[in-house]
Amino acid sequence: MRMGRRLGLLLLALAAAWHSPALAHDRAQIATQACSGAAGLSEAAATLTAGASSATPEDAAWAATLTGALLDKTIRCGARASTIESPSGFIDAATLAKAAPADGSAPVLSLKNRPLVETARAAATLFAGATAGERAAALRALERRAASLPPELFETAAAREPDAGLKEQILGVGQSALLNSSDVAKRIAAIERIAAQPSRRAETQIAALKSDPAYAKEPVFAAAVDAGLASIDRWLRVSSVANTLYNGLSFASILFMAAVGLAIIFGLMGVINLAQGEFIMLGAYVAYAVQETLRAVAPGLLDWYLILAIPVVFLAIAAVGVALEATLVRRLYTRPLMTLLATWAVSLLIVNLVRVGVGTQNLQFVTPSWLAGGKLLVGDFIVTWNRLFAIVFAGVTLVATWAVLKRTPLGLNIRAVTQNRAMAGCIGVPTRRVDMMAFGLGSGLAGLAGLALCPIYNVNPQMGSNFVIDSFMVVVLGGVGTLAGTVVAALGVGQINVLIEPLYGAVAAKVIVLLMIVGFLQWRPEGLYAVKGRRK
Amino acid sequence: MSAAIAPKRSLLARAADDRMVVAVALALVATAAVVAGGGLSGYRVNTIGQLACFALLALALDLIWGYAGILSLGHGLFFAIGGYVVGMHLLERSVAETGVTPDIVQFMGWKALPGWWGPLESFPVALLAAMGVSFAVAFVFGWASFRSRVSGVYFAIITQALVYVAMLLMFRNDTGFGGNNGMTGFQVVFGVPIQDPAVTKGLALASVLVLLAALVACRLLMIGRFGRLLVATRDDEVRLRSLGYETLRLKLKVWCLSAVLAALAGLLYVPQVGIINPRVLSPELSIEIAVWCAIGGRGRLAGAIIGAVLVNAVKFALSASLPELWPFVLAALVVVVALIFPNGLLDLGKWKPTLLSRSRALEARDATP
Repeated sequence: MRMGRRLGLLLLALAAAWHSPALAHDRAQIATQACSGAAGLSEAAATLTAGASSATPEDAAWAATLTGALLDKTIRCGARASTIESPSGFIDAATLAKAAPADGSAPVLSLKNRPLVETARAAATLFAGATAGERAAALRALERRAASLPPELFETAAAREPDAGLKEQILGVGQSALLNSSDVAKRIAAIERIAAQPSRRAETQIAALKSDPAYAKEPVFAAAVDAGLASIDRWLRVSSVANTLYNGLSFASILFMAAVGLAIIFGLMGVINLAQGEFIMLGAYVAYAVQETLRAVAPGLLDWYLILAIPVVFLAIAAVGVALEATLVRRLYTRPLMTLLATWAVSLLIVNLVRVGVGTQNLQFVTPSWLAGGKLLVGDFIVTWNRLFAIVFAGVTLVATWAVLKRTPLGLNIRAVTQNRAMAGCIGVPTRRVDMMAFGLGSGLAGLAGLALCPIYNVNPQMGSNFVIDSFMVVVLGGVGTLAGTVVAALGVGQINVLIEPLYGAVAAKVIVLLMIVGFLQWRPEGLYAVKGRRK
Repeated sequence: MSAAIAPKRSLLARAADDRMVVAVALALVATAAVVAGGGLSGYRVNTIGQLACFALLALALDLIWGYAGILSLGHGLFFAIGGYVVGMHLLERSVAETGVTPDIVQFMGWKALPGWWGPLESFPVALLAAMGVSFAVAFVFGWASFRSRVSGVYFAIITQALVYVAMLLMFRNDTGFGGNNGMTGFQVVFGVPIQDPAVTKGLALASVLVLLAALVACRLLMIGRFGRLLVATRDDEVRLRSLGYETLRLKLKVWCLSAVLAALAGLLYVPQVGIINPRVLSPELSIEIAVWCAIGGRGRLAGAIIGAVLVNAVKFALSASLPELWPFVLAALVVVVALIFPNGLLDLGKWKPTLLSRSRALEARDATP
C-alpha cells in the first residue's frame, strides 16, 4: 500500500513539474530529498528530469553534478548538509560551495531508482554537457526511455543545441516523446515525422498507438496512425524488394566472375575446366596469404590488403592456369570429355593438397575498416559495403575483361581463334599460345572471384564446389563467345536464385533454375547469345 | 555389304571375338562359383557383391559413353533411384515381418511409413518401380536434351547439375525420403534376417550373376545392328542423320537402357550395405563412375568392369589403412590414364615405355569422343 501511495506521489510530482515549466530547481530541497531514502531519491530524480528543460544553465550543471555524485557514490549524506567529493575538495551538495566533509555515506541505489537517476543525469547533461560528445552520449541514454519523457525536454534541448548534426538527432529522438504529448496536433505531427523514416522499429512504435485511448476517440488521430502505418508498410515492402535485388546482384557478381573465365575457355577450346571452383578457392587462399604477409611486414597497410592482393591473386592463379594448360589440357584438346575428367582430378588434387597443407578450418579474414557496415538507404534496406565491394569489383572486372578482349592484340587473337581456329592458324595466329594465355586469363578471373568472396563468404577448401555448378549453368545459359551472354545469364541465375529462395527455399531455387535452363535449351540450344555459325 | 563376303558366323561366335570380354565373363563365372562354394569370409563375399554392383554401374555408363560418345556425369541419379526404391521395399518388408518401427518413422515425425509405399512391399513391384522410374526420368531428360541436340561437354555438365540438384533435394527432410539420414535399419531380405550369412552370399551371388548376364546381353546387343549404329552416331552423327537414321531415337534408347541398368545396380547395392542416403547423389561419385570407365578403357564393356573393380578394390584397401592417400592416388590415376593411356588400361598391352618421345602417344580410338 505504501508503495502505491509513493508511486502516486511520484506521478503527481512529475505531472506538477510538467505543467510548471518556469520554476527553477529548489536545490536545497532536492538535495535533502536525495538523501532521504529510496523513495525520496526516486522523487528527486523525477523532479530533476521533469525540470531539466526549464532549468537555468547553472541549475542544469548542478543537477548533472549531483546525479553524477549519486551514481559515482562520491556524495556524503550528512545530518544537516550533504557534501560531494570533487577533484578540488569537498563541496556542498546544494550550493556547490566549498564545505567541510559531512560524515554520512552515499545512499544505496536500488535496481528501481538507478535508472531514474541515470535518466536525470542524462537529461541534465543534455543541457549542461561541455562537449557535443558528452551530449550525444546523454541523448543515447535517453533514447531508450524517450517515450516516457516530457517532449519539451527534447524541444528545448534541440533549440539550445549548437551542433547541427546533434540537433537533428535530438529532434528525431524527441518524436518518440512527442507521441505521448497531450496536444493531439503535436502527436500527429510526430507520427508523420516518424513515418517519414520507415523501419521495423517505427512500425511497432506507431502500431502501439492503436491501443491508445485517443485512437478510438479522435478520428483525426486514428487516421494519422493508419496513414503512418500504411506509409511505413509500403516503404518496408520497397526496401525488402531492394534487399532481395541487392543480394541477387552480389551473388550474380560472384557468378559472373566465376563463369566468365569458363565461358572464354569453353568458347575458345571447347573445354570445361572442372577445377574452376578450386581456382576460386585458391584465389581466396592467396588473398589470405597476402593479408598474413602484410600483417607481418607492413601492419599499416593491412587495411588495404584486398586491394593490394588483386594483382597478386590474378597473377598467381593465372600462373596455375597456364601450368595446367601446358601440362594437361593442351595434350587432351581433341578429347574434351577426357579433359573434364582430368581437370576434375586436378581439382581433387588441389582440394586435398590445401586440406593437408593448410587445414580444413575456415580462414579468418580481417574486415577492413572501409568494408565494415553500410548505409541505410530506405526502410531496412542497408547497402552493406562488403557486398557493394563484390558488385563494384565485378563491374570493374567486366570492363577490364571487355577491354582485354576488344582492345588488345591478345583479345583479337582470342576472338579470331574462337571464331575459326583453322583459319586463324593459317594466317599466323599462334593458336596454342593464345590457348595458353586465355586459359591463364580465365583462371586469373576465377581467382579474383575468390578474392571478392573473402569478405562475404566462408573460406575453406570445400568452398569452390558450391560455385562451380552454378557457374556451369551460367555458361550453358549464356552461351559462349560473348561477354554479354555471361553477364545476362549470371544476372538471371543470380536473381532467380535469390527471388525464389524466400518463397520456396534454396533447394527449390536450384531445382527451378535447372529446369528453366533445360527448358530454355529447347528453345535456344546454343545459349542466349550464340555466335552465328553452322549448327553441329 | 561385308556380310555377303564374310562367312556367316553365329552371333555367339562373333561375341567371343573380344578375348577380353570372354576372359571377364569366365572370371565372373569363376567368382560366382567361389562365392557359391562358401569358402570365403562374410566380409570378402560382401566386398565382391559391392564390386559387382559398381561394375554393373560402370557397364551402364560404358554403353552410352563408350558406344554412343555421350558422357553422363550424373549416373549416380539412376543408381540412387534403384537404391531408394529398394530401400522403401526393404523397410516395408521389415515392418510387415517383424513389426519393429524403423528409425525413419521416428526422425521423420511420421506415425507409420507413408501409405503410398505400400505396394512396394512386393519385390516384383519394387523391381518394376525402380526400372520404371529410372526409365521415365531418363526418357524425359534424354528426350529434352537430345532433341535440342545438347551433346558433348554441355550434356556432361547438365547431367552433373541434375545429380547435384537431386542431391540437394534429397538432403531436405521435407522431400520425404529420410533427408540427410536416408534409409537404414533394414531387418529382413526376402524373409531372411539381414544378419544371416546366407543373405550376404545370396546378394553377392545375385550381383555377380546379374553383372554376367548384363555383360553378355550388352555384348550381343553391341555387336549387332544397334551397336554398330551407335558407334556410327558417336563417330559422325551428322552423316548418319543425312543417311536417314533417326539418331535421336538411337541415343534415347541406349540412354534409357543405361539408366535402367544403373538403377538395377543400385537395387542390388543397397541391401548389401544396409543404407541409402543422399551421398550417393554427390557429383563426385558420378564423376568417379566415369573415371572407372576411363581407367578400364571405354567402348569394350570388359574395360568398364575391370576399371570399376580395380579402382574400387584399391579404394577399399586404402580406406582401411590410409584414407588420406586415396584422393591423391585417384587423381594420379586419372591424370596418367588421360595422358598416357587414352583408351585406359586395356592399352597396357600395346604400350611401349618411350614416355618422352612425341610419337609414343597411343592414338585415341575415337578422335571426337
